[in-house]
Amino acid sequence: MNRLLLSLLFVSLPLVPVRAADPPLRNCIDEQVKAAWAREKVKPAPLADDAEFLRRVHLDIIGIIPTYDEAKAFLDDQSPDKRAKLIDRLLEHPRYALHQADEWDQVLFGRNPPGYETQRRPTFQRWLQEQFAKNVPYDKWVADILKAEGTTVDDGPPWFLAQYDRQPEDAAEKITQTFLGVQLQCARCHDHPFEAWKQVDFYGVAAFLARLQVVQFDKKNNELKAMIGERNTGEVLFTGPAAQQTPGKKGEPIKPKFLQGEALAEPAPPKDLKEERSLPASKAPAKPYFSRKDKLAEWITAKDNPYFARAVANRVWAQFMGRGLVHPVDNMIAKNLTHPELLTACAQQLSAQNFDLKWYIRELCNSQTYQLSSTGEVEDARPTWFERARVRPLSAEELLESWRQATGYDAVAAKAPKPPQGRFHGVTWDYMVRFFGQPNNGTGNFQGGLQEHLYLNNGEVSRLIATDKGSLHQTLLDDKRPWEERVDQLYLSILTRPAKPAEKKKFAEYLSSGDKPAERLREAIWVLLTCSEFRFNH
Amino acid sequence: MNPRCRPADHLSRRALLKGALATTAGGVFMNWGDLFGSAAHAKDVAKEQKSCILIWLNGGASQFETFDMKVGRPTGGPLRPIQTNVVGAQICELMPKMAQQMDKVAVIRSMRTSQIDHPGGIHLMHTGYGPSANVRYPEIGAVCAKFLGREKPDLPNFIKISSNGDAGAGFLGPNYQPFGLDHDGRLPQFAVSNLDPKIEANRNELRNFAEDSFALDRKVEVAGMHREAYESVRRLQKTLKVFDIEQEWAKHRDLYGDTKIGKGCMLARRLVESGVAFVEVGQSGYDTHADNFAGHKGLVPPMDHAWAGLLTDLHQRGMLKNTLVVWMGEIGRTPSINNRSGRDHYVRAWTTVLAGARIKPGIVYGETDLDGKDVKDKPVTEGDFFATIYKSLGINPNKENFQGVRPIPLAPFGSNVVEDLLA
Repeated sequence: MNRLLLSLLFVSLPLVPVRAADPPLRNCIDEQVKAAWAREKVKPAPLADDAEFLRRVHLDIIGIIPTYDEAKAFLDDQSPDKRAKLIDRLLEHPRYALHQADEWDQVLFGRNPPGYETQRRPTFQRWLQEQFAKNVPYDKWVADILKAEGTTVDDGPPWFLAQYDRQPEDAAEKITQTFLGVQLQCARCHDHPFEAWKQVDFYGVAAFLARLQVVQFDKKNNELKAMIGERNTGEVLFTGPAAQQTPGKKGEPIKPKFLQGEALAEPAPPKDLKEERSLPASKAPAKPYFSRKDKLAEWITAKDNPYFARAVANRVWAQFMGRGLVHPVDNMIAKNLTHPELLTACAQQLSAQNFDLKWYIRELCNSQTYQLSSTGEVEDARPTWFERARVRPLSAEELLESWRQATGYDAVAAKAPKPPQGRFHGVTWDYMVRFFGQPNNGTGNFQGGLQEHLYLNNGEVSRLIATDKGSLHQTLLDDKRPWEERVDQLYLSILTRPAKPAEKKKFAEYLSSGDKPAERLREAIWVLLTCSEFRFNH
Repeated sequence: MNPRCRPADHLSRRALLKGALATTAGGVFMNWGDLFGSAAHAKDVAKEQKSCILIWLNGGASQFETFDMKVGRPTGGPLRPIQTNVVGAQICELMPKMAQQMDKVAVIRSMRTSQIDHPGGIHLMHTGYGPSANVRYPEIGAVCAKFLGREKPDLPNFIKISSNGDAGAGFLGPNYQPFGLDHDGRLPQFAVSNLDPKIEANRNELRNFAEDSFALDRKVEVAGMHREAYESVRRLQKTLKVFDIEQEWAKHRDLYGDTKIGKGCMLARRLVESGVAFVEVGQSGYDTHADNFAGHKGLVPPMDHAWAGLLTDLHQRGMLKNTLVVWMGEIGRTPSINNRSGRDHYVRAWTTVLAGARIKPGIVYGETDLDGKDVKDKPVTEGDFFATIYKSLGINPNKENFQGVRPIPLAPFGSNVVEDLLA
C-alpha cells in the first residue's frame, strides 16, 4: 500500500461535537450494514428472538448467562422497549466492569504474557476493573498505562510495560498493534514488503521506549514489586536489514519519530549528564530530565491521532460483532476494510463522546445488526458482512461462572457456613486456563481440541452439578410436575431458552426410563453444559 | 470437512483416520473402518505416511563422549573410541550397539546454534526459534502433527513420552497440543473415563441429540469442530489398548534393553505404527557440569541400547524409510574439562544425529577442529537443521504458519536445507 492510500485510510478526525439532532450511531450502523448487504447481494438472518438475544447480550456485557428467574422475567415481559432497558440494566451491573476488564486484560497480556512475573497480576486487574466501573475514558486509562506511574504493588498502570523489561522493540510491536492497529513488526527486520512501513519507522517508535527498565525492589506475597524506570540516556541501534547482518556490526542510533510524522523535539540534555547504562536496583528511579515515554503516551492517545480512535472503535466493534470493520483488528490496512464509512463514523463519534466505551457499547448492542439471529446456512463463525450474528466460544471465565450459575452451584455455595472466596472456585482454575484459555488456531478462529473434551468428559465438570437443596438438580427432582414441564425449566436454566417439543419428548423419555432418575438427571445436565449450544455465544 | 481437498487426498486421509493397523506381533488394535474393504490396503496407505520420533537428551549430551571424540587431545577425556560398521567412523566405547547401526544414521558434527542455556536451548531445539516475547512458536511435534497428522485420528498426533519442552502447540492451537505419557505408557490426567460404560453410552446418545438439535438451524462450522473434538475423545477411549505395552514388552525387552528409555522407545515405535505422526521420548540428566564422565557412563549405555533397538526394529518392520529418528539435546558440552571433571554448556560446535526417512545413511557430515572448539567445515545452524528435518519428512520448510497476520515460516527465514544429508 502506498502512502496515499494510507493517508486515505487514516484520515484525521475533525473534532465535531455530536449535536442533539444527529441520529444515534445505532441507526448509522444499521444503514451502512444494510447498504453493504444490498451491494454484496447478501441475505441477512432474521432478528434474534428474545431468548437468543438475552443470552448473547448477558454474555457480551457481563460475561455470564442469566439465571432462570432473570430469563423467565425477561421472556414474560411484554413491554416493547425491553431489549433497550435490559442493555441499560446490564451496563450498570457490577459485573460489567468485571467482564470488560477481563476482555481488555486478555488484549493487553494474553494467557502467556512475556516476562513470567506478569503471569499473576491481580493489582492490575483490580485497577482495570475500577476504570470500567468509573467509566474512565479509554484515552485516559490508556495514557495511564503507557505512562506507567507508580509501583506494581499499589498501582495498575506499570504492569503493562513491566512485560517488556529492556525490550523496546517488543514493546513497540505490542503498543502499535494494540492501540494503533498497525503491524510494524515486519519492519523490525526489513522494510515492509507491502505496506508503507520502513525499518526506520519501527525503530523510530522503539526509540521512545529505549530507556525503559523494570526496577524491581522486592516481591510481596509473591507479587512483583517494581516500577518502570526511565534512564536519561540510551538509544536503540539500527543495523540495517536482518539479512545483511554480520556479527559484531555496530548499529546507528535512531532518534524517536512519530509514525508518519515528525521527529520528537528533545531539549538539550543538561551539561553534566553522564551516560546511564542501568538504573540502580531496589531504589525508586528518579524521573529523567526528559521523558520520551510520556511523549509517546501523549501522542498515541491524542484526539487528533489518526490511528487511535479507529483502532479502538474497530476493536470494540469486533468484540461485540465477531470481526472488525477492518479485519483482523490489529492489521488495519485498506484491503482488510469492509465498511469504510461506517468505521469512520464509529471512530468520529466515539472520539466526540470522549472515548466513552459504555456509550459505544450501548449503541452497538441496540443496533439491529447486533440483534440478528445466528441461524442460517452461513458456515463462517464470523461472517464478513454481518449478515447473521457471530458465533464465538465462551472464555474460560465465562464458561466456569456460567456453569456454576446454571447448576445452582453458586446458590448452594452462598449458603454454606464458609462460602468460597474468589471468582474461580469449584474446579482447578489452572485446568480451565489450560483447556479453555486459548481455543484458537493463532489467527483468532476457534479450534476444537481433544484435551478440552477429555476434561469435559472425564474431568471436574461433574463436580459443578450440585445436588444439594437449592440446586437445579434437587429442585427438578423434588418438582412433581410431568417431566416435559421440568425439561422446560432445565433448558431455560442452562441454555436460556424454552425446550422445543421434540426436546421435551426426548429428555422426558430419557429421564423417566430406568430406576435412577437422580443419576439420569445429572447426565442430562452434563449434556446441556457440554454441548455446542452452551460452548458458544451465538 | 474441507470442501477444497481433492478426492484422491481425501481417500488417503480418510483411510488413515480410520486405519486399522495390524502389528507384526499379531493383534489388530485399532478400530477398522470399511472404507476400502481391505485391511491390507489401509496398511499400505499408512506405511507411506511419514512420521518422526525424537530422542531428546535433556540437559545436553556431550559430543566428546558420543560421536565426536578427540583422542589424545587435552579436550578428549578418558573414554576410548571404537570401530563401527562404517569404515572410518569411530564413536565412543559407551555405544557398542549403535556402533553396529552406524550404517543407518547420519551424524552431524558441525552444529552451531544460538542459545546456550537450558530454557532457551530447549525452546530453540524444539521449535527452530529462540524464545520471543510476542510469538508463541510451535514445537516440531505440533508442526508434524499439523502437516503429517491423520485427519480425525484415533490417537493424538503429537505424543510426548517423559520429555521436556513447554512450547507445545504454541499458536497452532489446541488441536496440536502434545499428549503426555510416561515411559510405561501411563496416560495423562483426565484421559480415561471412570463412568459406567452403559451410562456413558446413554448420555452420549442424548448428547448427540442435543448437538443435532443445535445443528438443525445453524450450519456454523465451529459447532462441527466442537462436535468432532468430542468424537475424538470417544475414539480414543476405544483405542486405549495401544498404551498397554506389557505384553509386547516381554517380547522386545532384550532388543531395547530393560530400562525406562528402552520402554519409551518401544512405545514410540508402537505409536508410530498405529498412525501417530510424532512421538518424542525423553531421557534426562545430561547436564554434567560435574562428573561428566561418570554421568555419561551411566546415561549413554541404556540410551545406546534403546536407540539401536529402535532403529533395528523400525528397519525390520520396513518402517525406517518413512520414519525419521532425530537424536539431540538442547546444547553440546564444552571442550574444556572443568575442575569438577565436568563439561559446561557449549553451542559453537556440537553434534546431532538423524536417521531414516530421506536421510542419507552411513555418513558423517561436517567436522570440528582438532580440539573440538570450533566447526572446521560446513556449519549447520538450528535453522538449517530444522529445514533439513522438514524436507526429509516431505514438508516444505518455507511453508508459512500464521500468528495473527504475521507469517512464520516453519524453518526461520534464511535457513538452508543441508542437501548433502538427503538421499
